[in-house]
Amino acid sequence: METYSIIFAIFLGGAVLTYFAGKLNSILQDILFLGSVLVPTYLFFSGVSFGSAMPFSLEGISLLWGIDHYSWLFALIVLGLGSLAAVYAIGYMKGKERKGYFYFNFILSVMSMLGIVVSQDLISFFIFWEIMTWSSYLMVIYNGKDIQRVGIKYFVFSAIGAYAMLMGIVIVHSITHTFFIEDMIQAYGHMSLQLQIWIPILFLIAFAVKAAMMPLHVWAPGAYSNAPMAYTSLFSGALSKMGVYGMVLILVTLVSRLPQGIWFREVLAWLGGITAAVGTLWAIKQDDAKKLLAYSSVAQLGYIITGVAIGTELGMLAGLFLAVMHALFKGTLFMAVGAIEKQTGTTNFTEITGLIRKMPWTFLASLMSIIALAGIPPLGGFVGKWMLYESLITSDHYLLVILIFFASTAGFLYCYKFLFGFFLGQEEKEWEHVKEAPATMVVPMILMSVFMFVLGTFPGIILKPINNGLMDLGFVDSYKHLWETSVIFNNWGDHVILQPILYSIIAIFLFFLILVVWKGYKGTRYVTTKDISTSGEVPKEDENLTFSVGFTQPFLRAVAPVMRRQIDKYYTEFAKGLEGLFEFMRRIYTGNAQTYALYVVVFVVIVLLFKDVLF
Amino acid sequence: MEEVLYNILGAVVTFIVAFVVGMTYGGLTRKITARVQNRKGPPFYQNFIDAFKLASKKTAIHHGVMHLMGPAFLMVTSVMTLLIVPVLAGNNWFPNLNFHGDLIFLLYIMTFGPLGMALGAGQTGNPNSAIGVTRGLSQMVGFEIPWVMSLVALMIQYHTTSITGLMEVQAQSGTWLMLSSPFAFIAAVMAMFGMFRYSPFDIVGAPTELASGPVSENGGKFLFVMMSAGSVFTFAKLTLYVDLFMGGASNLVVLLIKTFLLYMIPVLYGVTSPRYRTEQAVRWFWGWPTFFGFLAIIQAVILK
Repeated sequence: METYSIIFAIFLGGAVLTYFAGKLNSILQDILFLGSVLVPTYLFFSGVSFGSAMPFSLEGISLLWGIDHYSWLFALIVLGLGSLAAVYAIGYMKGKERKGYFYFNFILSVMSMLGIVVSQDLISFFIFWEIMTWSSYLMVIYNGKDIQRVGIKYFVFSAIGAYAMLMGIVIVHSITHTFFIEDMIQAYGHMSLQLQIWIPILFLIAFAVKAAMMPLHVWAPGAYSNAPMAYTSLFSGALSKMGVYGMVLILVTLVSRLPQGIWFREVLAWLGGITAAVGTLWAIKQDDAKKLLAYSSVAQLGYIITGVAIGTELGMLAGLFLAVMHALFKGTLFMAVGAIEKQTGTTNFTEITGLIRKMPWTFLASLMSIIALAGIPPLGGFVGKWMLYESLITSDHYLLVILIFFASTAGFLYCYKFLFGFFLGQEEKEWEHVKEAPATMVVPMILMSVFMFVLGTFPGIILKPINNGLMDLGFVDSYKHLWETSVIFNNWGDHVILQPILYSIIAIFLFFLILVVWKGYKGTRYVTTKDISTSGEVPKEDENLTFSVGFTQPFLRAVAPVMRRQIDKYYTEFAKGLEGLFEFMRRIYTGNAQTYALYVVVFVVIVLLFKDVLF
Repeated sequence: MEEVLYNILGAVVTFIVAFVVGMTYGGLTRKITARVQNRKGPPFYQNFIDAFKLASKKTAIHHGVMHLMGPAFLMVTSVMTLLIVPVLAGNNWFPNLNFHGDLIFLLYIMTFGPLGMALGAGQTGNPNSAIGVTRGLSQMVGFEIPWVMSLVALMIQYHTTSITGLMEVQAQSGTWLMLSSPFAFIAAVMAMFGMFRYSPFDIVGAPTELASGPVSENGGKFLFVMMSAGSVFTFAKLTLYVDLFMGGASNLVVLLIKTFLLYMIPVLYGVTSPRYRTEQAVRWFWGWPTFFGFLAIIQAVILK
C-alpha cells in the first residue's frame, strides 16, 4: 500500500516545508499549509480501501498499518474537522506571530491523529500518541502565557497517561512477543486474571487523560483555553476523541471478555456521568468564553464516555454519534470564539455585548451549535442525547440517567450565557466598530452548522458508518432495529420519526413568524437597545444597562455546597508536598564538592562504627 | 396528499380547542385568585378580550431579528407538545403526531420554545428580561429533576417510553397510574408547581420587580402570540398529566373535568403562597419532590 507512505510523507514534508516557507513568503506558506492538510485528506478518502493493511518492518520490529470501518469513522472526524479547521486557521493566523510554528504543529497533530487510527500495532500507536501529545503541548504554550501553570499541568498528566500505556505495552509484549494489537486481543483470553485486570486499567488511564475524564481532567480547561482557538477546535473536537477511540477498543475487545468487566463499565459510566455534571457546573461559573467551552468540552466528553461505557448497541451508537456531533459543534463554537477574539481582542462575557448585528454569520453558526450542544430538536445533538437516555433507561441505569439529565438541563444555563454574553444584550459604543470575520473563518463554521442541521433529521448518514464500525468490532447490525435514515428506535420499540417533526416545526415557526411580522412590517422601525421600557424612564445614552456580571448567580447559590470541593486543589496540595520533598533533596545535593566529600567521610565513619552490626 | 391535508385540519382543530380551553382556564384562574383575595375580579372571558385587543394592535418598533422570532419559537414548543400528546384516549380522529415522538422527545421539545424566546428577550437588551431568563432556566433545572425521576420511574416500571404505551397500560389494567405509582404522581405534581410558575415559584416573571421579566419588551402581536402560546402550552401540559397519570380521557367533557381539577392544584397552592427566591425554589425542588422521585424509582425497580 503506497498510499499510506505518500500520505504520511506529504504530512511530514509539508510540515517542514511550511515551517521554512514562512521565511520566503507568507501567502506561499498558507498555500503549502492548506495543501499539506487537504491533499492527504483527499488521498486518504479516495485511495485507502478497507481491510488492506500495510505490513512493514522497522529495526526488526514488524509493524502494521491498516484501516477498518471503525477507525475510518475516527479518520473522518480527524480529517474532516482538520480540513475545516485548516481553512479557518488561514484566516485566524493572518497577521499573527510565529505562523510557521503554528502550522508545523497543526500538521503534525493531524498526522499523528491519523496515524493513531491507522496503527494496528502498539509501537506505532504509541509513537503517534506521543507525537500528538508533543505537538498539542507546543500549541498549548504557543501564547507563551501560563506555561508553568497550564503547560506543565497538561504535560504531567499526558506523561502519566503515556507511561501507563507504555507499561501496558511492555507487559503485553513480554507475554505475546509481538506488538500487533490483534495478537494482544488473541492472547488476552489466556492471561492470568491479575493481568487481565491490570492491562485494561493501564490503557484506560492513558485514554482517560486524553478524553479529560474525571479525575484526570484538570489539565483540560487551561490547555483548551490557552491554545490558539483555531487549534482548540481541533484539540477539543478531534484530539480528545482519540481517548474515546482507544477506550472503545479496550472496552470492546478486552474488557467485554472478562466476567468482571461489568465493573469496569459501571465505574467508567459513572465517572463519565460525574464528569458531565461537574464539568457543566464549572462551565456555568466561567466568565471567559474559552474557559466556559473548555469545561463544556469536559462535560460533553463525559456523555460520550458514559455512552460507550454502557456498551449496549444503543449506548455505543449514542456515544459515537455524540462524538461526531461534539466534533462538529464544539469545533464550530471554538471557531466562533476565535472569530470574536480576532475581531474584538477579548473573549470575556463581561466586556463584550451585543455583537449580533455586527457578526450575524458568526451568531448563526453559534446558535446552531448551541442548539445542537443543548440537544434540542431538530438539530443533531438531540439524536445523540435521545439515544443516550434511552440506552441508559433500557439498560437499568436509573440513577445515572438522572445525573446525566441534570447535567444536560443545567447545560442550558451556560448555553444561554454564551449566546447572551457575546451576541445579545445591550449594544455598546465600545464595540460599534466590530466587523464580521473574514470569509475563510466564517465559511467553515457555516458548513459545519449545515451538517449539524442535516444530521438532526437524517442521522442515518452518520449512523451508517458508525454501525459499520460497530459491526467490525463484533456488534450485530442494528439497521432497521435501532435506526433508519431518519427514524431512531430504542430497545423497547419506541421511536422518534424525525422528518415529520422537522416539517411541523418549520411550518409552525413560519406561520407564527409571518403572523407577527407580515402585516405592517414596513411601518415598523428598528430601535436601539437603549430604547426600552424601564418603568417609564427613558435611559440616557451613556447609562450602563449591561447585565453580564454574576449572570448565573441564582443557580450557583443553589449549588454552592457541591462546588466547594475541587479536585484540582488536591492535586495542587500533592504537588506542593512533592515540591517540599524536592526542596529537601536539593538541600542534600548542594552541588558543593566539599559537602559531598563530607558525606563520604560521614558514610565511611558510620560504616566503620557499626560494622559489627551491619555485616 | 389528502392525508396530509386531513392531518393539518386535525392539528388546527386541536389547536383551536387548546386555545379556547387554555384561555378560559386563564380567565378562571384570574377570577379565582381575585375571589380568594376578596376582590371581584374580571369576568372569565377577560383573557379573550385581552388577546383580541393585543392581536389587533399595530407593531411600531422591533429590536432585531431574534426579537421578531421569539414568539414564533415559543409557539413551536406549545403546538408541538400539543401535537405529540394524545388529546383523547382511544380516539382516532386526530392522531396528529402522537406516534412520532416519545416522552424523552417531549421533554426536549418542551425546552425549545423557552430558550428560543429567551434569545428574543435577550436581543431587546432589557436587563430585566435577561434576569428573568436566568432565573427561569435555574428554576427549570430545579423542577426537571423530580419530573424526570417520575417519568423514568414510569418508563422502567412499564417498559415503554411512549405516552400512548403508558396510556395502554392504564387501559389494560383498569387503574390509573396515579394510584398504581403514587410516588411518581406526587413527584410529578410537585414538579408541576415549577412548570406553571404560579406562586411561590413565580420569580421568573415577577411583575413587581422584573416588569414581567422575559416578556417585558413585547407588546401587541408579540404578546398576543406569547399569551396564546402560554394558554395552549397549559392545556397541552395538563393533558399530558391526565394521559400519564389519570388514564387519559375518552371525551372532551371528562378531559375538561380532569384537567381543571389538576390545574387547580398549583393555582390554589399559589394564591396563598408568598414568593421564593430562585435558589430557595431550586432547593425546594431538590428536597421533598426529589425524595418522592427516589421513592418512585425504588417502587418501579421493585415492581418491574
